[in-house]
Amino acid sequence: MSDVTSPGWLIARQSARFVLRESTVALLSLMFVVLVLISAWLGWSATSTVNHIYLDAAAFLQSAGQPVPTNPVLDISPLSLMRNMSVYVALIGALSAIVIGNRLVGLDRKAGVLPLIGIRPLGRNAYAGGKIAALAGLILGLAAVASAVAVATFLVLPAVTLTGLQWAQLAGFMGVTTLYMGFFGLIGLAAGAAARSETVGLLLPVTLWLTLTFIFPQLTANLNPTAAINPISALAVPPDTTFFHWAARLLGPFSLADAYKFASAGLLDYLPPGITSPSFIPPVINLILAAGFALAIAWRALTRLSMAQGDYNV
Amino acid sequence: MSDLTLNPVLLNPSPVRTIAAKDIRDALRDRFILIVTGFLGLAALVALVTGAIALRGDVATYEAAKASLLALGKSADAIKAPEFYPLRLLRGAIEQIEIIGAAIAILIGYRSAASERGRQTLSLMLTRPMRRWQFVAGKALAGIGLLAGGLALVLGGLTLILHLLSGIGLGVDDLLRITIVWGVSVAYTACFFLVSFILSLHMKNPSHALLVAFAVWLTLVLVAPQIGDTLDPDNQVAGGVFKQLNIAKPDQVEIMKSFATFETVRDGIEQASVTKHFERFTFAVLGIKATYAGLPLGPILIEMLGNLIWIFLTSLGLGALALALPLNPDRLAKA
Repeated sequence: MSDVTSPGWLIARQSARFVLRESTVALLSLMFVVLVLISAWLGWSATSTVNHIYLDAAAFLQSAGQPVPTNPVLDISPLSLMRNMSVYVALIGALSAIVIGNRLVGLDRKAGVLPLIGIRPLGRNAYAGGKIAALAGLILGLAAVASAVAVATFLVLPAVTLTGLQWAQLAGFMGVTTLYMGFFGLIGLAAGAAARSETVGLLLPVTLWLTLTFIFPQLTANLNPTAAINPISALAVPPDTTFFHWAARLLGPFSLADAYKFASAGLLDYLPPGITSPSFIPPVINLILAAGFALAIAWRALTRLSMAQGDYNV
Repeated sequence: MSDLTLNPVLLNPSPVRTIAAKDIRDALRDRFILIVTGFLGLAALVALVTGAIALRGDVATYEAAKASLLALGKSADAIKAPEFYPLRLLRGAIEQIEIIGAAIAILIGYRSAASERGRQTLSLMLTRPMRRWQFVAGKALAGIGLLAGGLALVLGGLTLILHLLSGIGLGVDDLLRITIVWGVSVAYTACFFLVSFILSLHMKNPSHALLVAFAVWLTLVLVAPQIGDTLDPDNQVAGGVFKQLNIAKPDQVEIMKSFATFETVRDGIEQASVTKHFERFTFAVLGIKATYAGLPLGPILIEMLGNLIWIFLTSLGLGALALALPLNPDRLAKA
């Protein structure tokens, strides 16, 4: 039997097709793509406005006989045009990944097909591997669309030229983005498999996402929720007090939204000098470790899923 | 004779009360409301405590700098003392209500509509002598009542902690402001409850309705204000573009006159979201926005009346829609 017809591959292909037929998955994925496009426009529009403000301010300062400072736009890397994408990935990208992960296993449970799958000649490992492969394929698909928008933006804008290193940084950012969405997708998959009810399977990862996005940054850096969704304001210096030093030390490695924000800011060149991630673990390593952990719990939940039970318990 | 006199049900509001009381009992029995209220309370408490710790740090830094200047024989006027308005410490908590409170309202709306569908009890309930609007009104009242109770617990707890933490205590004016914020928070979260309730009641699949409601929440609560915030030129450069260019406030206003259209579009995107109206109103009433700190309540309420009307009209409009949409019993079985 060739690889393409292995049980794991069949599960992956069928699951991905099943999920793509879901209108809510299509809606959230469409929202993600639209917001990625908006983020490209926002980056261009905001930078262009600051440039115009500078030109007006420079004329005003010259007429007043005052010294004219350098244009802040010149200090900004062209890569930072994509800074808003990190916010939308942290919001809609993570939520889309949770829904995809949840639906991948939730649809099987709700349709009551697990006992049917259970009588087929395939092991639990093949089922788990197939589901994780389907999730990986769908998340990579979303990341590929986001990457295509980013690349097209940089190719279309006339005044923007990226060096080879900057293209590599952009590829690194897309890699980190895939990891971050993958973490939430795997948590969605694990909760969808382990939860007794469909709603709890969806709400548990959403609660985790809310906690990581809006509560942890407050503990590690006194960052209010609305500041956490602004790419620039989110990179604040934590207050210099014992509490925040300890909070960063203890909670920093678990504050994944912070890790993603700092990894993105570093790769897209908008990290202000002197500001570092609250975690003692470098942000990218932090995300790799978190994705590995999520993979382990998704594998455990999927391989322990009862194939004798059809629908949800409640 | 009119329909009103022929149908005593129309004159008797008890079905509304009965359904509302039953829904509240159900919600309290399965502890869902207590769990989500506890989560919101925890998020708000974290915001309050971290804000207070950060302020204490600012005060300590100021005291140390002042002592150093005085030891050198210099005047301490050169450094600005940190301002302390106790209600400002509620900023993070208000933002948590703005985001997590709205998400919880969506969950309550979903559960309120989906519970009868899941238990297949709706057809049975609709055989009882009551109008369908009474069924919808009872459910909506219960949901909004639960939200009001949860928010009262959260804001009441925060007020008590603030009273003890601030060291100077809260006065009657402060309590009045917090009460007004509670009322507006109920109206604001009711908007999201009603969106989710209407979708869950009328869409074929309730779990799809929940996700669509979350898509609406993302757009109104996070994306629209974020776009407005991002387009603010002063948020594009660390520390602010005008601060970096050393331009005084009156000159900033003059320069920004050339960007009136841009600012109108930016403001329009923000204004389209009920969340921004909630934020503007509550930040003004609590003096979180610096320009309103220390101002009497009356003029603030007059200035913020537009935001207040927007919030209440949105919730009333959605409430009217929930009552007006005809219930399709075929749609109300478990999907």
